[in-house]
Amino acid sequence: MATVTNWITHLTTDVDGETIGTQVAGSIYPGAGSSETLLVLLLIVVWIGWHVITNKSESEELKRLARKRHGANDHKSNITDW
Amino acid sequence: MTEEVEALRIIFTEFYYWVTVVLMFLIHVGFCMYEVGASRYKHHQHTLMKNTMLIPLVTVTWFLFGWWIYWAFPTGPGIAPSIMTESTGLILGGGFGGNDLANPTNALMSINLNDHLMGVFWAAFLLFSWTAASIVSGAIIERITTFAFGVLAIAIGSVFWTIDAAWGWHFDGWMLKILGYHDAYASGVIHAIAGGFALGVLIVLGPRIGKFSSSGEPRNIGPRNPWLVTIGLFLIYTGFWGFYAACNVPIWNLGPEYAVEGVTFWTATNIYLTPTTLSGITMNFLMSLSGGLLAGYVVAKGDPFWTYSSGLAGIICASAGNDLYHPIQALVIGMIGVVIAYKLHYWVERKFKIDDAVGAVAVHGYAGVVGLIICGFVLNGYPASGYNVGAMWDGSNYATINPLGQFLGAIIMFVVLGLIPGYVLAKILSAMGKLRIPREVEIAGLDYEMMEDDRSAEKAVASSTR
Repeated sequence: MATVTNWITHLTTDVDGETIGTQVAGSIYPGAGSSETLLVLLLIVVWIGWHVITNKSESEELKRLARKRHGANDHKSNITDW
Repeated sequence: MTEEVEALRIIFTEFYYWVTVVLMFLIHVGFCMYEVGASRYKHHQHTLMKNTMLIPLVTVTWFLFGWWIYWAFPTGPGIAPSIMTESTGLILGGGFGGNDLANPTNALMSINLNDHLMGVFWAAFLLFSWTAASIVSGAIIERITTFAFGVLAIAIGSVFWTIDAAWGWHFDGWMLKILGYHDAYASGVIHAIAGGFALGVLIVLGPRIGKFSSSGEPRNIGPRNPWLVTIGLFLIYTGFWGFYAACNVPIWNLGPEYAVEGVTFWTATNIYLTPTTLSGITMNFLMSLSGGLLAGYVVAKGDPFWTYSSGLAGIICASAGNDLYHPIQALVIGMIGVVIAYKLHYWVERKFKIDDAVGAVAVHGYAGVVGLIICGFVLNGYPASGYNVGAMWDGSNYATINPLGQFLGAIIMFVVLGLIPGYVLAKILSAMGKLRIPREVEIAGLDYEMMEDDRSAEKAVASSTR
């Protein structure tokens, strides 16, 4: 997984590892070159999942509150001290 | 020595954009404070949460596809040729599809020791995206669901504004080439589009309960915390410095860029890579802010809420041409924009029963449109791009700035990419029953349960300390 195991070697090796001393380094994150597509897919799954979960919880909250039919000034009895 | 100077230029540019991002974060802080100050007590926390959550929602989608759209769509596609690819098609690279630079699986979209600019440039544009979404957020407070706002924020922040930026805020954009469109500091590409989008949503969403009397007369629902509103707007002014700086390229050699041999001219440029100076635009920024405040104070009869907003509207109106205007031109243009935006806001509110809670459609939308149109007259004949020094690959050339091009550009921004998508998306969300909160919740207050829980907790603590 580690992309970098030795900084001097990394900084003095080109991305193909053929030319020594050219100061071409590039990506340094773990899994560079092999994990990007998987990471993007993971982000898409998290993103969609978040919307599904929060949409459901918001709908439940709104329905629950709507059923109670509070008046426009009822919230004033719930004002707390600063 | 040349290599050292070039390295310094790159590191300087990297730091320059990084500072603009930090400054622009204040715009979002300001919008959050402003919205909370403008909303009623029983909606405060949900109002803040709604605007806070646009940060991750737009950021993630900007990473996935927003940035890609900016680099892929300058040609339309199919409207004008790219000077980069000599084609009218999407500007495509390898991998994911779009320009390789913006491919989310590309090695440059991360910490990359060969690149110091992609991340900060990406972030600067992202902060523009937040601003676009946040403009919409204020107009629709106290009655929209967080889910619906999330969808709308993604649409304006990661899709529609980035399309307009590709078309009219990119050195290779088709609107420059065909219309001679010029919009240096985003009167249209951020403000007019976001204002138009907000208006489209408001038409479907409807007013807050009680905003209009049974005879249709509008009632004022003023800000509940004027100090938060004040601090919020002053923070937006502050963040706007970063916004202006981020619209510039800080240091660039224009001779080689335009392929003119023997010419070396180091300068700051605007987003179109035409020359300006950070020094000059600073004067114009302050003069247009002043023009907006002066006009707003008069037209709103000293009302603080509108006077502060008018300062912002003044900047927004002059922004299209603030890279080239004289400071006094910037001031006068700012004044004109404010008067028109203010009058139009109340006319639209009364005539069409539109409840824009913070005046966002006026301050951003109307002022932005007016600014674009004025720019077409004042800068008539200026080159829209430095690249019009010679014909493009197909023999055509960039158009010059002109009134008709700017007018059409304003229509594209406000109506085509703003109002229509906002209206259609809101209609879809409304049909799904997801757009507006239930009437009973709007009356009780979005924060009712939260407040009730806090009150119970307070009682419990009090009883245990007796």
